[in-house]
Amino acid sequence: MYALLLQSADDITREVARLDRNYAFLSYGLIVAWLLLVLYVLLMVARERKLKREIESLKAMLEPPASTSSASRQSQTR
Amino acid sequence: MRDKLLFLIGAVAFGLLFKDIYVMTTLPPEVNQGAIFKIIFFHVPMAITALTCALVAFGASVTFLITKNFKADALAVAVTEVGLAFLAGNLITGSIWGRVIWGVWWAWDARLTSALVCWLLYAGYLMLRRAIEEPTQRATFAAVFSIFAFIDVPIVIFSIKWWRTQHPQPVFWAGGSFPAEWYPTFGWNMLAMMLLCVVLTSVRLRQEEFQREIDGLRRMAHAL
Repeated sequence: MYALLLQSADDITREVARLDRNYAFLSYGLIVAWLLLVLYVLLMVARERKLKREIESLKAMLEPPASTSSASRQSQTR
Repeated sequence: MRDKLLFLIGAVAFGLLFKDIYVMTTLPPEVNQGAIFKIIFFHVPMAITALTCALVAFGASVTFLITKNFKADALAVAVTEVGLAFLAGNLITGSIWGRVIWGVWWAWDARLTSALVCWLLYAGYLMLRRAIEEPTQRATFAAVFSIFAFIDVPIVIFSIKWWRTQHPQPVFWAGGSFPAEWYPTFGWNMLAMMLLCVVLTSVRLRQEEFQREIDGLRRMAHAL
């Protein structure tokens, strides 16, 4: 009877350990899935900012400076 | 308007995912595998979303080859990149699940290997695009590559039917072990993943438009 009680106590301990381990791994899985999604969203945001900055700089490069354009206009009128 | 709509859809998707995590904690552990079985709420929707992305990329690539419309090429690259992120999530959550149930992080069985090959193929697609400068050539080569890569998708899906695998058979039908009361939560999570995929693809598609604008501006700058 005593041996049976001991065995069942062991079983309960083992089962509790298994459940704890199960929950720990489940939380790792959820954390990884969420982290991956959040990281990808952050990557997207960073890339979009970079692209917008690049467009602005290219547009600024292609636009003739205001002083030069007004000077050329004046020379044309003369 | 488009930005606001995307933000709204994204917020709904994240709200649903948060709600489902709360619901998951209230559900009892599965009879055979215990609590770890609940990882299925992320593992399977991520796989379905990723493979749907592959199907869309296949359609867009075929469309590009027929019409030479660069919008189809932009859709193909956007949806491939987003699908790759979801497939990575599927592989990682599957590996964690396998560690608990099989005692190993990875098994070289047909399902896992074909899924990894699928991920590598689509990663190769993105690398190929970076390697080619000329836009028409890049889009054509990438479209052909994407069509060939898609051959792996049916292999991933049917591998568990065609070969004896360590990966279990589907649990959703044919007497599967998925508890009936879990279906609504699973359905909501599936919807959330799909919505998130739509938002991410739309954002990525807009980035492709920006990239085309940059290419045009660069050409103008070179011409000056």
